[in-house]
Amino acid sequence: MFSLALKNILFYRGRSITTFVLTFFSALMFIAYVALMDGSHGSMLKNALKVYTGAIEIYKKGYREEGGNDYLIEDVASVEKVLSKIEGISDYTSRYETYGLLSSKDRSTAAMVAGIEPQKEREMSELYSTLVSGSYLSKDSGNCLYAGVDLVKKLQVKLGDEVSFVGSASDNSFAADLFKLCGTFKTGAFEFDSTAAFLSRSYFDELMYAKNKASYINIRLDDLDRVDAVNEEIIKQLDPQYESVTWKVLMKSMVQAMQVDSIFGYISIALFFVVIFFVIMIFGFINVSSRVREFGTLRSIGLTRGKIRLLLFNEIFILSSAAILFATPIGAYIAYYFSLHPFVMEGISETYKDYGVVSDEIPLAFDLFTISWNVAVIYLLNFLSIIYPIRYINSFKPVEASHHV
Amino acid sequence: MIQLTEVQKYFYRGESREVHALKNINLTIEEGEFSLLNGPSGCGKTTLLNAIGALDSVDSGKIYLDEKEITTLSEDERTLLRLNEMGFVFQSYNLVPVLSVEENIGFIMKLRGFDDNEIKNRVKEVAELLEIQDKLQSLPNTLSGGQQQRVAVARAVASKPKIILADEPTANLDSKNSIALMNMMRRLNEEEGVTILFASHDEYVIESVRRIIRLNDGSIVED
Ligand SMILES: Nc1ncnc2c1ncn2[C@@H]1O[C@H](COP(=O)(O)OP(=O)(O)OP(=O)(O)O)[C@@H](O)[C@H]1O
Ligand SMILES: [Mg+2]
Repeated sequence: MFSLALKNILFYRGRSITTFVLTFFSALMFIAYVALMDGSHGSMLKNALKVYTGAIEIYKKGYREEGGNDYLIEDVASVEKVLSKIEGISDYTSRYETYGLLSSKDRSTAAMVAGIEPQKEREMSELYSTLVSGSYLSKDSGNCLYAGVDLVKKLQVKLGDEVSFVGSASDNSFAADLFKLCGTFKTGAFEFDSTAAFLSRSYFDELMYAKNKASYINIRLDDLDRVDAVNEEIIKQLDPQYESVTWKVLMKSMVQAMQVDSIFGYISIALFFVVIFFVIMIFGFINVSSRVREFGTLRSIGLTRGKIRLLLFNEIFILSSAAILFATPIGAYIAYYFSLHPFVMEGISETYKDYGVVSDEIPLAFDLFTISWNVAVIYLLNFLSIIYPIRYINSFKPVEASHHV
Repeated sequence: MIQLTEVQKYFYRGESREVHALKNINLTIEEGEFSLLNGPSGCGKTTLLNAIGALDSVDSGKIYLDEKEITTLSEDERTLLRLNEMGFVFQSYNLVPVLSVEENIGFIMKLRGFDDNEIKNRVKEVAELLEIQDKLQSLPNTLSGGQQQRVAVARAVASKPKIILADEPTANLDSKNSIALMNMMRRLNEEEGVTILFASHDEYVIESVRRIIRLNDGSIVED
């Protein structure tokens, strides 16, 4: 059956070539398109995570819902001891976040003021690399404030100016101090740049009575793809008063936005496939209906309908395999090349800045699993496209088919 | 043994015009017969051969093949019956266009699972008998009508079926080829015991056969 299928393919060249070309281009486009979609999402995510959010963060249960001083992690050291033993974690740092009033001579605004570990934070987030003016924090930077550019604009202060802080300490007592603006940063995420300001924990903890306490602990991983496995391990080992949450939960809105984006992407590609499907089917149908007599002959001399089906499936299998065999390495190479050399699309970071996207570069995702399911979809499409022609041809009786003109 | 009782066959052309192609046919063909269906064009020879060969259904009546009722078989069962027990020589040849002459002749043997060597030898043997051995590598559409006809005959006889149904096998052949073909058929019949039924009005065939069944307008008029 296989060799007869092959001979038919060589004999009916027009149909073979169209099917081959269509399959080739749809496979190629599909692989590249999905790689682009996954790639842009991947880079959005990576950038967003790099800015400030951790791959995993640990909270005392209740903090994420209620916030405030009642739900602080009271013993950071004990949690960090647990984390230090878990595989797959490359680094972690604790943050003490509070909301308070920042005021300059003329202006005041509510802000998120956080005590951070400057050295560790430098490795974990983009706070350091998004420095715009002045200097970043250090362990001994004292009352130095490191604030977002848009916050600085609101307060109308410049480097070296004093900024007063009023808030409540971790024990709910009154806390007030004078900070000095030492540096500014710009991540591109407006929300963040207009409300966030940082101090070194060593100084801020004294003011807030927050030693060994934290709002949450931020964790970075060796391999982001293993986030669920590592998170499970953390949950297993962690005191149940704490919860460990992955970025998927933390960045729900961004993940949802990406899902919506993917859905639109898949809808448009589905429409494209519907067109391809019908074109392949029509060519298959035209070919098969020009061969009614031939199928009548085959049936007359002893091919069952099952064999005819097998024959036509073999034909489409050979054709689509040949096309996929050419298209897959090319598509994979394109995905691979652009995963290493992302192409630049001006304005991307502008559009997605609310999600913390800081780069105009879009790399393609190169993932063999993704490419495999892409290929499977193309096969499926081709197989589905031959079903109707098969039903058509098998609806003839052998004698009818032999007389068909 | 093939037995037909009260077989009727109609063709419908549109709503009103129907053709009563086989009218109450009762016929018995014994194993090892060498017989002919004869009659004017349009009298129903091909229709009757197709019915006997389980190629086409009939509207009423019964057809038995060695005690087996073939009119009630499913489409697939009839297909396998044709493949395993019958050899057809179609009036319109019905060669597979993408296969070479050699592959066409060996096709049924291949479907029936003969091994490649045996097929090759047998194909060569019948091709020589029918003088098409130097066309083995050609495609059917490059052959003349007579050559295609001989390929169709070769395909039908190559697998040595129990029954051969040959519809106008000599229609496009010259006298030399017709005689060679009939000699081959007779040898198959006598040496291998193959039951052979022709449909033809060719004198070479009429002269060779042992029994002539005359049809007219869908009925048997003489036996
Ligand atoms: N598929 C068909 N549809 C409609 N009518 C048909 C069909 N096949 C045959 N007939 C009719 O049935 C009758 C018998 O046809 P059949 O082909 O059996 O004749 P035949 O004896 O083989 O003729 P010939 O010697 O020309 O081959 C004819 O009147 C023909 O028109
Ligand atoms: Mg006829």
